[in-house]
Amino acid sequence: MKGPLYHLYVIMKKDLTEFYRVRARLVSMILLPILLMLLFGYMFPSNGTITHIPIAIVNQDQSTGAINVINSFIYTAESSGTFNVITYSSLSQAEQALLEGKVYAVVIFRQGFGQELSTGSATVQVIVDQMNPTLDQIVTAGIQQIFSQLNVQLSIAHGFPASSFGTILVNFQGLIPGALSSFEFLAPGFIAMSVVMGGLAGLAMAFSRERELGTMDGILMTPVSRFSIVMGKAMAQAIRGIISGIIIVILSILLFGVKIYGNVFLMAIILLLGILAFTGLGIIATSFVSDQESAQMIMLMLEMPMIFISGIFYPVLQLPWWLRDIAYMFPLVYTVTGFRSVMVMNAPLSAVWNDVLVLLIYSIVTFAIAIPLFQRMVTK
Amino acid sequence: MSYAVEAENLTKYFGNLIAVDSVSFKVKKGEIFGLVGPNGAGKSTLIRMICTVLRPSAGKALVEGYDIIRQPQEVRKLIGVVQEKLILYAPLTPVENLEFFGKLYGLDSKVLKERIAELLEEVKLSAVKDKPVGTFSTGMRQRLNIARALLHDPKLVILDEPTNGLDPQSVRWVRDYIVNLKNRGLTVILTSHDMYEIDELADTVAIMDKGKILEIGKKEDLKRKYGATKIEDVFLELTGRDLRDEISGRLRRRGW
Ligand SMILES: Nc1ncnc2c1ncn2[C@@H]1O[C@H](COP(=O)(O)OP(=O)(O)OP(=O)(O)O)[C@@H](O)[C@H]1O
Ligand SMILES: [Mg+2]
Repeated sequence: MKGPLYHLYVIMKKDLTEFYRVRARLVSMILLPILLMLLFGYMFPSNGTITHIPIAIVNQDQSTGAINVINSFIYTAESSGTFNVITYSSLSQAEQALLEGKVYAVVIFRQGFGQELSTGSATVQVIVDQMNPTLDQIVTAGIQQIFSQLNVQLSIAHGFPASSFGTILVNFQGLIPGALSSFEFLAPGFIAMSVVMGGLAGLAMAFSRERELGTMDGILMTPVSRFSIVMGKAMAQAIRGIISGIIIVILSILLFGVKIYGNVFLMAIILLLGILAFTGLGIIATSFVSDQESAQMIMLMLEMPMIFISGIFYPVLQLPWWLRDIAYMFPLVYTVTGFRSVMVMNAPLSAVWNDVLVLLIYSIVTFAIAIPLFQRMVTK
Repeated sequence: MSYAVEAENLTKYFGNLIAVDSVSFKVKKGEIFGLVGPNGAGKSTLIRMICTVLRPSAGKALVEGYDIIRQPQEVRKLIGVVQEKLILYAPLTPVENLEFFGKLYGLDSKVLKERIAELLEEVKLSAVKDKPVGTFSTGMRQRLNIARALLHDPKLVILDEPTNGLDPQSVRWVRDYIVNLKNRGLTVILTSHDMYEIDELADTVAIMDKGKILEIGKKEDLKRKYGATKIEDVFLELTGRDLRDEISGRLRRRGW
């Protein structure tokens, strides 16, 4: 009972007690994210110039009529520069890609489409990813426009006015049934972001503050392993993050009508891993400085760019390749996409397992580096 | 083995700065060992190496026979340290502070409870045991800090400027308490800038300057050697009367 895990627990409990006692910190931890959410909730969505949005096509009809329409669709979609079209052979593959955020819409030409088109009007099914309200609008409008264009071409070919014969009707459908407010799409990103940021800020404080005050020496003078110190402090941040996450989610539900569609337990796991991955990274970054202020600066430099490139405000896939590569090197993007997929799209573990796995590996690797590094830096 | 501490060529570099320069000395069991020196002499750095929180750049030291580098866990169980900076958490109460450190020392929770009650009685803080430490006066904090250093029944107690910034009553209390520790058979290493304090308490005195021990010996022997009546005279004789205005790269801060 008195092993490293017990010491880890003791240190974690102390950090949490200390945090709980200082009301100002407690309140700011919850107020700040709520304020941010309010702010962004009203600021967004606004339209930007977004191009080459990846969308999927699934063709379930091999008739010439369908193939002709599809070829025209691809041609129109790509020549406008708005979309990149990727063809999938099965609907489930395309839906998986949508869930994973690889494409933003799936256009389905069902069996019998060509047949229907030759006799009257045929319907195309479009599933749109509503994760990002800005993009959702652009995708919907863009696809609508392409089909209007195709309809005009078709009617010219048939010599009939559009909408009476040989017309393609577009049936839009979201992944989630029912209309969602734009804020609902932003909320998960904000929640994940604020929880992770809170964890980072708390961590910078937890370590450098103790070193500056001199209390770290007090802990180091006890026969406790460095593993217990580092993990105890990290776990305190993780638990604090989860608690603030729960409060923020509840408030978002009450204040903004945000709904949870997915598994709460899975959401918590993703958040927890997200915080741990960040904490490990944060310890590595701050172990090179000994005062609080520098530590906070480093954390800020780590956080700020990451926030803007990690898919909270702007889809990662729309970033220039090099920025996208940078985004994928940090854990926030996995936390946000995983958390959002589960919360808004009811994604099962099988759909987000790669995010979970990356975060898990990230946590393990960063802590494997952080613990010996901490040991070296404190005894310098 | 009659030594509580045996240090041999202990050295510490901070970058290019040599804070402790190949220092060797021995502290006898049961004595009060006074370590003095002007600001920046390297006293605290030396102490932090002995209490295993700072890794020596060179040299070695034994505490009660245990190597500070190879057996730090053993050393930690044997020494209690009052550093220049208070090792206490302001938002926590005395009991919570002591419980935290006591658990890290691996004390059984029942034993720990009794020990805490006993120590708080000793340092006269039983009445405020459930108030946050942040509300305490400097003297109260230092008393609690001393209690923390004694939690695990150490054999060697190291006090780095324990009376710095305290009112005369608290200073008196701390000095009496140090004598009390010695009478209980504990070994004490004490640093101070108050030469009268050293004169009153220390058995052996080491005078440090610029990382080196300039002189070490029984208090009375030193006074005789330098024809002085007070340790202060020995100190000034050895370290000079010039003011020390060296720029140090470190920000000093005490307490909260
Ligand atoms: N962590 C550190 N990093 C860099 N330099 C340090 C560090 N700690 C101490 N020093 C430097 O080492 C030298 C010795 O400092 P130390 O604190 O040991 O002196 P001291 O004798 O305790 O002085 P004082 O009487 O002021 O407490 C000083 O020049 C100080 O600036
Ligand atoms: Mg000092």
